[in-house]
Amino acid sequence: MPALHAQNDLQISKVFEQYGEKKGVVMVELTNEMLDGYDFSLFKSLTIKDNPSAADFIRRCMLKDEVGAKKVKQVVTNGTPTSIYLQLPRKGQLYRLILFNETFHPEHKITLIYIESKNDSEDVLKLILKKK
Amino acid sequence: MKIRLQHKMKFEEANRLIERYYEGLTSGEEEKKLQQFLAQPGLPERYEPEQALLGYFNHKKEKKHISLIPYKRWASTAAVVVLVLVGSQVFFIQNQRNYAYVDGKKITNVHEIKSQALASLSDIALSTDEVEEGFKNINDNELVEQQLDVFSGLEK
Repeated sequence: MPALHAQNDLQISKVFEQYGEKKGVVMVELTNEMLDGYDFSLFKSLTIKDNPSAADFIRRCMLKDEVGAKKVKQVVTNGTPTSIYLQLPRKGQLYRLILFNETFHPEHKITLIYIESKNDSEDVLKLILKKK
Repeated sequence: MKIRLQHKMKFEEANRLIERYYEGLTSGEEEKKLQQFLAQPGLPERYEPEQALLGYFNHKKEKKHISLIPYKRWASTAAVVVLVLVGSQVFFIQNQRNYAYVDGKKITNVHEIKSQALASLSDIALSTDEVEEGFKNINDNELVEQQLDVFSGLEK
């Protein structure tokens, strides 16, 4: 993958590299596309099913990426963070967000999203959470 | 001989014209005649300063006109080719960067990619919903009672 995006300096880029093309995984990359009212410069997502070790790996990566970032939200279940939203420092004109969620019912499912947008990350996050 | 005679005749007239030229009295036609005279080959050396002065104009007139039209045509053709190449490259890269992998299989259909992207966004939105609902369902009084029960058990 060419180093075109601000995501490449982040640890979570390793998650996309390692799991993106595996079975039981859905990986999406959209560049400069309008997505249902969202204006993203880059959208990357990863949905992984039945792979608890992947969740541990993501948590470890996010621990490093959260240095200098603002933790907007964290939900801890049985001592383990199962939901983490990070607002990363701006890179140039781009606001950046990392969203991680792990659910156990009805099945074990991990969702990791990385967003780059020219719009304020708080507005982006509000918009995402509004569209339930 | 004929040429020499012509020169001789003209020398006198040329000298007169040169004098008038330096005095600023020459008409346009006279200057033209003077230029024609000075443009002749084989003139005596004494006319060199005037040749340099007025010959400049002759030289300018004789300057070969280079038509830019063929170059412009080539340049515009080259620009179009470059634009098409760059445009197709950008389009190709753009398309390449919109993709999805489902179970290791690459998908390039934009609608399908978008629907996968929206599904992952909705996972995040729904999880927030669940957490909020969970908090709402917790009855504060019930929780306090449960915690107090722990301590009351210790007294027994």
